[in-house]
Amino acid sequence: MTAKPPKAEERKKRDTSFSLFFQSKNLYKIIGLLVIFVFFLLPVLRLVWLSFVDDGSLTMQYYTEVLREPATWKTVKNTLIVVLGSTILALVLGILFSWIVAYVQLSGKRAMQLFIFLPFVIPSYITTLAWTQFFSASGPVTAMLSWLPGDLQAPNLYSIGGIILLLGISHYPLVYLFTVNVFRKIPRELEEAAATSGLSKQRAFWKVVLPLALPGIASGGLIAFLSNLDNFGIPAFLGTPANIRVLSTYIYEQVVGFGPSAFSRAAVLSVILGVIALIGTVVQWFLLRRSRVNETNRSDSTPRIYLSASKQKLLEVSLWVFLLVTSLMPLITMGALSLISAYGVPFKLENLSLRNYEYVFLTDSKPLTALSNSLQLGFFTMLVCLVIGTAVAYLRFKYPDWSTRTAELFMTIPYALPGTVFALCMIFMWLEPIPGWNPGIYGTVWILFIAYVTRFLVLQVRGSYTAFLQIDPTMEEAARTSGAAGWVKWRRILLPLLFPGIVSGALLVFLMALTELTVSSLLWSSGSETVGVVIFGYEQAGYSTYSTAFSTVLVLGILFGGGLFMLLGRIWDRKVLKTK
Amino acid sequence: MKKIFFGSATLCLVTVLAACGGEGDSSYSNTSKEGDGVSGTLDFYTSQPDADAQGLVDAFKKQNPDVEISIFRSGTEEVVSKIQAENQGGNIQADVLLVADSVTFENFKAEELLLSYQSPEAEFIDEAFVDPDGTYAGTKIMATGMIINTNEVTNMPDSWSILTDAATKGQAVMPSPLYSGAAAYNLGVITRQDGLGWDFYEALRANDIMITQGNGAVLESVATGEKNYGMIVDFLAARAKNDGSPVELIYPKEGVPVITEPVGILANTENEEASKAFVDFILSEEGQKLASEQGYTPIREGIDAPEGLKTLEEMTVLNADATELLETRNDDKAEFGKIFGE
Repeated sequence: MTAKPPKAEERKKRDTSFSLFFQSKNLYKIIGLLVIFVFFLLPVLRLVWLSFVDDGSLTMQYYTEVLREPATWKTVKNTLIVVLGSTILALVLGILFSWIVAYVQLSGKRAMQLFIFLPFVIPSYITTLAWTQFFSASGPVTAMLSWLPGDLQAPNLYSIGGIILLLGISHYPLVYLFTVNVFRKIPRELEEAAATSGLSKQRAFWKVVLPLALPGIASGGLIAFLSNLDNFGIPAFLGTPANIRVLSTYIYEQVVGFGPSAFSRAAVLSVILGVIALIGTVVQWFLLRRSRVNETNRSDSTPRIYLSASKQKLLEVSLWVFLLVTSLMPLITMGALSLISAYGVPFKLENLSLRNYEYVFLTDSKPLTALSNSLQLGFFTMLVCLVIGTAVAYLRFKYPDWSTRTAELFMTIPYALPGTVFALCMIFMWLEPIPGWNPGIYGTVWILFIAYVTRFLVLQVRGSYTAFLQIDPTMEEAARTSGAAGWVKWRRILLPLLFPGIVSGALLVFLMALTELTVSSLLWSSGSETVGVVIFGYEQAGYSTYSTAFSTVLVLGILFGGGLFMLLGRIWDRKVLKTK
Repeated sequence: MKKIFFGSATLCLVTVLAACGGEGDSSYSNTSKEGDGVSGTLDFYTSQPDADAQGLVDAFKKQNPDVEISIFRSGTEEVVSKIQAENQGGNIQADVLLVADSVTFENFKAEELLLSYQSPEAEFIDEAFVDPDGTYAGTKIMATGMIINTNEVTNMPDSWSILTDAATKGQAVMPSPLYSGAAAYNLGVITRQDGLGWDFYEALRANDIMITQGNGAVLESVATGEKNYGMIVDFLAARAKNDGSPVELIYPKEGVPVITEPVGILANTENEEASKAFVDFILSEEGQKLASEQGYTPIREGIDAPEGLKTLEEMTVLNADATELLETRNDDKAEFGKIFGE
């Protein structure tokens, strides 16, 4: 119902891209932008409007007030440090892992891939809890340091450094996901050519491989950047004790304040945050200018770098140590918590039971309902984003002019805003889209669906766009001159080449929608509970043992699903290779 | 398992929509009591734990089978901002509101969003907890006391001063008033007491107390032994102790700030009759017994508190005027931020 307009719109758009795009090109542009404007920008503008209005008259007083306060600038400074630091960390880790997985001969790569995803799907309150216990005075790190000579202290996680570390570790899988396929598609002949021209391995990496991988790196980096910007859980948990505020937590503080100015001040801060997000997007465009498109290749998973047996072992061991600490440790912490009867009892056999699981899955009816709701919401969000997002990415790729760029900017904003703020925007917009008319979307599952699509579409756009960037435009022309037009062209030529990149985006949308928490906690309604809402509810009621039980099952389910997904990927590869 | 879910996921969203309308598992067969004839739908917004809110609604529906109640549950702050956003959007959807503290209700009252209703059941409640204008009434007693880790501490203190004692430097934790409405309420009350006041908070700061996000985080911190002392809402500590966590709940002798989880009706309710019946039920003897069964100190006179908690008569309550607290709320928070070094 509500999702129909954009669908129809997309169909029109795609028709134009299939047929020759000349007659009413501008008209379509305007219509397309209008639809995007209504769905993506208008809700945000309603919030921005609040920052200019005081008792029904236009004013700039909120801006002058907020911008004069030293606290604002301190917060902005913290935000920039935290976001840049964690984005760089995520980029370094993500590129390193994707390069190793794509090129180096290692055993057990597939298991490794699954573990790389773990930090991303474990809820952030679990991640922070696990890490703070890991580094606490009674934790393993302190114990290990005490054996070492000298008076070494475990690092304090309640600090800017701690926030950067955990954000980076939580978001490097995003960079990995966007870059690994890109690395695989870089033809090995190029590297060989570089080698024969006398470039060292390192020089070749900087001169050849990295520029070719830029589309993926820029996309992944942007998404990681936005995710770091809007993350609330980690800075709230680690920043509160140290009095470190970032924009997302400061905005929340304003929203929960009292009085008529609460929302207006939050709106001003959201505008500042939005500006930072837009700057990030623009920086990413400049990066992409330097990227190069090469002749199209299918992805090539065979290793290109072989190490001596001992070196390979060493590399494998060090990678696994890293993965065990960053991925398995929080999972084990979570699993252990879910098996004990209460916080603080020693982890002994007599204290262990499956009581929490029994309660969550047998006594309480809500978690299972929530799981099925979230799966359905995730699935349909993924489907809609897959179609619309890929279409938008195609247009963005094919006609890189002002209109598609503007569209991309519009779509970035809903993802960059903190979840609480975005949910408020959704309420402003959809409660009465036209004053006095309530279409009955708000208060049903549809508002969640619209919110998820609006918020996560940019992930699919980035995923698909990265895939398109690696296709040589001549491919399409070649297809057309060989008589493959329209749907055939897509089915036989383009989709098989694009598939891995598009699926990465879709997978991301699905996982995000499945585990979404902050937006849902404001927009859910009776009967449309989501996984995040149930976990949040347990946490707030002090039933952490229940929430960990539920989260553990969820994460294990995602791992299992991931395993299946990889299996399908292998089958797909084989099938495509066969048809060749 | 996963596959089955995916199978169900491919069913059209319409089924979800259909499921949204009604709760399929409520049977109206055994209604022994005659309801007082209210019907229609109610939107109940609350910050109570999900199971408790559901229990309350189910008990009410036993008496009034013709009322459909849909619950929205979230943190107090989220519920409040949702209502404010609905107000901005043109039409508040909630009919009945039940959240943590009276100051929140004073805020809505000041904006004229609440309906005035003098419930006959409110006569049995201490008038300190009922708004004289009838816009809200307390529903239970939730004191903020101290939680102590019993593995680390053998001598149980009986005073707030333990938190400012140099011997416990760096061992205490409290929820942040900047995130939590209940903690902000406590801040307002404690700073208005002789013998505590802002000096108490400055001493806490000097003693390196850790500020954390909310009550749940305080419980985790003290139960796991990361810290030994914490300020916490009583029922959480009592429940953790019952579950076997190594913690003890203390009501300091100087007295405790109390939040009452008031209930109120929104002025633009579309179902005034049912809303009033629901409020009556929450304050009635039966509703209050239910609160006690769920592990809270009831607010109505003559109903016993659950195991491990004190009744209202057994504790010293620290009070402050709710309207005054509302006026100074933002200043109090700013002052707190200053002391704790922004």
